[in-house]
Amino acid sequence: MTDILAAAEGVSKRFRHKPDFAERLAIRLGAATEPATVHALDGVDLHIHRGEVVGLVGESGCGKSTLGRVIAGMLPPSEGRITRDGQDIRALRGADARKMRLATQIIFQDPMSSLNPRKRVSEIIGEAPRVHGLIPRREVRAEVGKLLATVGLDPTMADRYPHQFSGGQRQRIGIARALAVNPDFLICDESIAALDVSIQAQVINLFMDLRRQFNLTLLFISHDLSVVRHISDRVVIMYLGRVVEISPADTVFDAPRHPYTAALLEEIPRLDRRGRRFTAIKGEIPSPVNPPPGCHFHPRCPHAFDRCRLERPALKQVGAGQDVACHLNDGNGLIDTPSRQGE
Amino acid sequence: MTLLEVSELKTWFETPAGTVKAVDGVSFSLAKGEIIGLVGESGSGKSITGFSILGLVDPPGKVVGGTIRFNGEDLRAASEARLRALRGDRIAMIFQDPMMTLNPVLSIGTQMVETVLAHRRMSRADARAKARDALGRVGIPRPEERLDAYPHEFSGGMRQRVAIATALLHEPDLIIADEPTTALDVTIQSQILSEVQGLAAEMGMGLIWISHDLGVVAGLADRIAVMYAGRIVEEGPRDDVLDTPRHPYTSGLVASAPIANERGKPLRQIRGSAPSALHRPEGCAFRPRCDHAGDLCVNDVPETCAAPRRWRCFYPLGSS
Repeated sequence: MTDILAAAEGVSKRFRHKPDFAERLAIRLGAATEPATVHALDGVDLHIHRGEVVGLVGESGCGKSTLGRVIAGMLPPSEGRITRDGQDIRALRGADARKMRLATQIIFQDPMSSLNPRKRVSEIIGEAPRVHGLIPRREVRAEVGKLLATVGLDPTMADRYPHQFSGGQRQRIGIARALAVNPDFLICDESIAALDVSIQAQVINLFMDLRRQFNLTLLFISHDLSVVRHISDRVVIMYLGRVVEISPADTVFDAPRHPYTAALLEEIPRLDRRGRRFTAIKGEIPSPVNPPPGCHFHPRCPHAFDRCRLERPALKQVGAGQDVACHLNDGNGLIDTPSRQGE
Repeated sequence: MTLLEVSELKTWFETPAGTVKAVDGVSFSLAKGEIIGLVGESGSGKSITGFSILGLVDPPGKVVGGTIRFNGEDLRAASEARLRALRGDRIAMIFQDPMMTLNPVLSIGTQMVETVLAHRRMSRADARAKARDALGRVGIPRPEERLDAYPHEFSGGMRQRVAIATALLHEPDLIIADEPTTALDVTIQSQILSEVQGLAAEMGMGLIWISHDLGVVAGLADRIAVMYAGRIVEEGPRDDVLDTPRHPYTSGLVASAPIANERGKPLRQIRGSAPSALHRPEGCAFRPRCDHAGDLCVNDVPETCAAPRRWRCFYPLGSS
């Protein structure tokens, strides 16, 4: 019995457009080039312990959503393997595979595009447990009512359609649907990004309550570091398909050890940073079609040196529970980390 | 010197279901070189306030009341021709999605030259030089070459820079920026904020920064106006509004920010959700969500002024 609930081991995911006949012909004749490959994930290792909340942070195109989907088993990795409770999920068959899939649920960003607009809420929430035989048909209604109450909605609303709810309420329906099949692992993919500020706090609180109530493990994917810090036990920072830093949530805010993490923290808008003179790290996020060699961050990194342009830094332990992929931590002069205000 | 003075602005939309009072009595003023942050949630009327100033409200929406004075001139009484002459010249707007602002089938240079020539008589070559300089000013590398590129050849952040460069072509007195960094990544947002902040200071323009993100506004604005259900519920100098909010809604927003809460503890939250614009409660629209509501709140809330601050609340915080 291990306490690792889910793990990604050396996971890479590449997306490549498959050329059709005409394109293949054009390529043959030299009139077109081979379709580009998007390196969404590049050798990612991540262990998620039972009962913890892992925050996964990165900017658009860093592969955080792809990693969520690969861990959930929705997308097969191009390389590497995903384990669930110690077993390779590709080796699971039949009832075991189904059990694994039910035990992992995803909550998406936009509840309007993940809820069927033509179905009533009772059907949206009650369908999966009924189809999978988790509860007898005649108890479905009562169960839906219970779930609605759990996520803070009025059970009498069960016969309404998704469009009759506000954005925050719809997200609660999405959460109730995920809980209906008794998962032990929730993957929240930008689940609060589309909500208004005053509603975000409500939904974050709901996630924290549910985690305690149902002993859930959460993978909380977000671009918002301040939210992630608030609810996570550990934070994983990704950049262009790679994990650059894994740290306990306190540490990552107070003493980031990767220049990208430091930059993100520096630039996040915060209520207590008034009348700032905004400065910014230079450059843009490179395309995952053609990522820079060596460390992906080196073209934007203020500390980059020759080795960064050539050699990919490995993810190494640099402190208690803190893994960082940066050559600066290799004795070539540790990166100087001014102590940062956490609160 | 007052650059813009909006008073009792009302912009209503007549819909089959009833009148939507998107903006319902908004007043504020802006001095030269000042940055005001207009903060609110979706549907609070902050964008419509911006559109109303520019005369860009489309039917069924209509500005039904109030005055808008820009450099002393009454914009509500101005002819369409006069407004067209002002827009893009003295007043410019930056939108959330630059892909909507830029024409996808024209090169950046063509569009920028067009903007220059719409307001100035000069040769095409001069206009092009002006456009090139504007691109350089917002930090676009190799501006001369980039003039011939099309919008899709730019990344999101670069596109927003092009939109900003276009807005700055005539060094306007007033810029209305409607969530211009909301769709951008954190590091790119910082770059844009840094450019805008530098240029605003350099040129001394007034800036209305419309956003839902209090954090951005805290970093950028001199003054903050908080909107709720079509009204400004509180307005004042940045630090006053954030440190000692008078309106319970402002206070709720500030308190619910994760940074204001102890890690792992439940966030302080505002209960309920914003009312539909068709069915706003009588009196104070925030009343059903407010912990401080009392008997008076069913009445229409007058504005309390205590310069430099003002608020709309019968039971303001920090008063007793």
